Amino acid sequence: MSRNDAWAKASGQTRYAADLSLPGMLHAAVVRSMVPHARILGISTKQAEAADGVIGVFTAADVNPHPYGRSVRDVPILASGVVRFTGERVAAVVAESRRAAEAAAALVEVSYDELPAVLSAEEAIAPGAPAVHDAPWDYPRAVARPADGPNVQSRVVHGSLAGAEEALSRAEFTVDRTYSTPSVHHGYLEPQACVAAVENGRVRVWAANKSPYRLRGQLAECLELDPALIEIQPVPLGGDFGGKGSPMDIPLCIELSRLTGRPVKLVLRYVEDLTATNPRHPARIRVRAGCDAGGRLVGMAVQALFNGGAYAGFKPLANVNLHGAEDCLMAYDIPASYIESVIAYTNTVPRGHMRSPGSPQSAFAVESALDELAATAGIDPAELRARNLVQPGGPRHSGGPAWAEARGGETLRALRAALQHAGTDSPASPAAPSPPPGWRQGTGIAVYARGVPRLGTTSIRLVPAGEHGRVRVEVPIPETGTGSHTVVRNRLAAELGISPDDVEVVQVSTAGLPADPGVGASRVTVGMTEALSRAARAWRARTRDEPVVVELGAGSPPGPAGTPGAAGQAAPAAGDSAAAAPLVSYCAQAARVAVDPGTGQVKVLEIISAVDTGQIINPLAHQMQIDGGTVMGYGFACLEDLAEEDGQVLAASLGDFKIASMKDVPSLRTVLVEGGRGVGTANVKPIGELANVPTAAAIANAVAAATGCRVRDLPITAEKVFWALREAGTAGGPASGAGDGPVHGAGSSSGAGAAGSAGEKAADMAGKGRVR
Amino acid sequence: MKISFTLNGAPAQADAPPDALLVDLIRGLGHTGTKEACGVGVCGVCTVLVNDLPVSSCLYLAACAEGAEVWTAEGLAREDPALIRAFAECEGMQCGICTPGQVVAAAALARGRERPEATEDEIREHQSGNLCRCTGYQTIAESVRAYLASR
Repeated sequence: MSRNDAWAKASGQTRYAADLSLPGMLHAAVVRSMVPHARILGISTKQAEAADGVIGVFTAADVNPHPYGRSVRDVPILASGVVRFTGERVAAVVAESRRAAEAAAALVEVSYDELPAVLSAEEAIAPGAPAVHDAPWDYPRAVARPADGPNVQSRVVHGSLAGAEEALSRAEFTVDRTYSTPSVHHGYLEPQACVAAVENGRVRVWAANKSPYRLRGQLAECLELDPALIEIQPVPLGGDFGGKGSPMDIPLCIELSRLTGRPVKLVLRYVEDLTATNPRHPARIRVRAGCDAGGRLVGMAVQALFNGGAYAGFKPLANVNLHGAEDCLMAYDIPASYIESVIAYTNTVPRGHMRSPGSPQSAFAVESALDELAATAGIDPAELRARNLVQPGGPRHSGGPAWAEARGGETLRALRAALQHAGTDSPASPAAPSPPPGWRQGTGIAVYARGVPRLGTTSIRLVPAGEHGRVRVEVPIPETGTGSHTVVRNRLAAELGISPDDVEVVQVSTAGLPADPGVGASRVTVGMTEALSRAARAWRARTRDEPVVVELGAGSPPGPAGTPGAAGQAAPAAGDSAAAAPLVSYCAQAARVAVDPGTGQVKVLEIISAVDTGQIINPLAHQMQIDGGTVMGYGFACLEDLAEEDGQVLAASLGDFKIASMKDVPSLRTVLVEGGRGVGTANVKPIGELANVPTAAAIANAVAAATGCRVRDLPITAEKVFWALREAGTAGGPASGAGDGPVHGAGSSSGAGAAGSAGEKAADMAGKGRVR
Repeated sequence: MKISFTLNGAPAQADAPPDALLVDLIRGLGHTGTKEACGVGVCGVCTVLVNDLPVSSCLYLAACAEGAEVWTAEGLAREDPALIRAFAECEGMQCGICTPGQVVAAAALARGRERPEATEDEIREHQSGNLCRCTGYQTIAESVRAYLASR
């Protein structure tokens, strides 16, 4: 049975925040900073105020002065005194129409006294750098301290640098490489949108926000309101990927409604989404890795520096860091490891969470470095990984409790087996195209491990809905597109033994249920299926025809993940199983590429994903998370770049910031590595933030296998490959030209085994190329 | 200026400034099934049919629709339910914001074709003007194939 929202979405009936209209509603437009760092000398609003249809023009003097944030609260509703990035909100115009508001916004004149700006993370943390904030440690919930040096948002360290360096000094083979990744945008196709209505001190909000209950708390804090007076209304989201988790422009919209006494709608133009929201952190990551003669890792040191932009308030974790960076060596058992993740304030657009925050950047660095180490050691890169993956049941050198299972080896074996059939037809996708004649081919792999979230706090209500045993399920989360509401429908129907047709799923406002942490961290299916199991038990045990409310995690600490039990069996609820070991899930990917030696153009022919799974609740939705994630990973690898010049984001439209189209997509193939241990009664593993992570490294490794040239800076453009080929050609022999014959790197017939094994020396780039 | 056209088979009239865009005209008439994303004609989210041709309504001057026959996803859903059924059954969507545009583009592909089927390359070429960030496109391509096969 199809998704419960399919017909409404395909026929244009679904109403998102931007589609809503309230009686008397006004429209807002934002005046944004044109400079990266400046004192505001004055704002002239007179002309704008006199323009047709304008109700009011407002500045920092008019709105609540308290900053907002998901953890640290450092984001002003409107810039007060100082602007800290190009695109920052300086003033807002409210008018009878959007057209009038936008026209008047262009008439607001702001005069600036420009200040020295720090535009990169490296500049920002250098001694003597200009300060983005005078005293960032004074913001509520700030974690950085003056001793951290200038412009630090967060600094997290795991392991001992001295220990890792000592181990590296004893290694037989080592590499020391630095990789960089650009900022990229979530690329959701629904711009940020909000409607706010303030009436008699009560606030109602309809917004493209995925965490309504947390939003309520953040708004209450910033606006100094009783949370009970704020009601976040149910609205579906037109894409999220981590970009719709913050208050963003909602506090401003509320203030504008309060100031004008009428409902106000604020919908961003996409140029504002690209330049002034909370895209992915750009990174520079140094990786040192060493192994012994047998290919066993002896030490690794990863030092990541992220550009956090002008404000840190878009990161939700208490340590204001990125868990993907902290966990970047999770797949491997390394005797001596060190991880450092520093996030810097700069005068650029604030960065936030995006699909597995910190992981795509650090996986690109670590998984590229492992291939470089394998090449140096003369070991097959898949074999190097296989020898160092965390083993089931064994202790880990990095400490912590033993994992309940570690299926990295199985996942990697499944990937290598699938590579035997690379290039052939698969049920999901047509056969990968053959590369054009003369192009060089190569295969690369990469592995990603991710911790499975524990059951957190959430709540649902089952309500009798008429005759014939129909049930309405009230859920606290919006449908962001993943199909979560359909999972709820199908799962409850299965639990109660009724038809999915007899289950209606509705998101209710924040007044409707006790609590929920919002969509994110791959937790929704995990939390919802467990809540539904408990609700179904309570529903069957009812003596009267009354609603059932289930609140997970209320009054007791969140239950640990990792309930043993075969799929489909009634296992004890995870929250009741006190000593359960942590769970991890894996995704191993292989990319097959062809490279035009004349131009450097890279064509990704095929991406194969091996995915570690527990029970799959909705196979098609699960597959779409893999496909959509892989295509996003492909975009990160080859297409997307939200670069800046002088602090100004250069991509002003989706024409400049290129997300993959249907025609760009490589052939995709998935191997499900079934039988894994999941969370809760439903035995589920999360899927939303796996397949987008290893893709870039797999493609970079494939390009290196094909050409002998290593691109350490994303995206992998034709230009970068061209120059790398030229450089290698100059160093090692005749330049590779378009006339070269085809050269096969890791042959698709032998799997990933040989990828890069011939080494990646410039000498290999001689005109004849190299044959494995 | 007054603009008269046919919207989803019914006569429609609106008063709009000369530089008004078709997307705003349509949405202003309460037909919010046509969404707007990029605003510069590259993402395809706002695709509508104007006299059987798919256009980005965010770039199309409303005045140019004078006398034209305009179809949106809402109208096509009534006129050609097989189109919507294909997308629903193949789950050619996730968040749904690009879906009305995908549906309109698929309708444009089908209209005026002598033979119902299209090659995979034709489908991918045709739909490449309609971006989707969620699905990875596999189920959208399948929806279009299923729709063409149903005709």
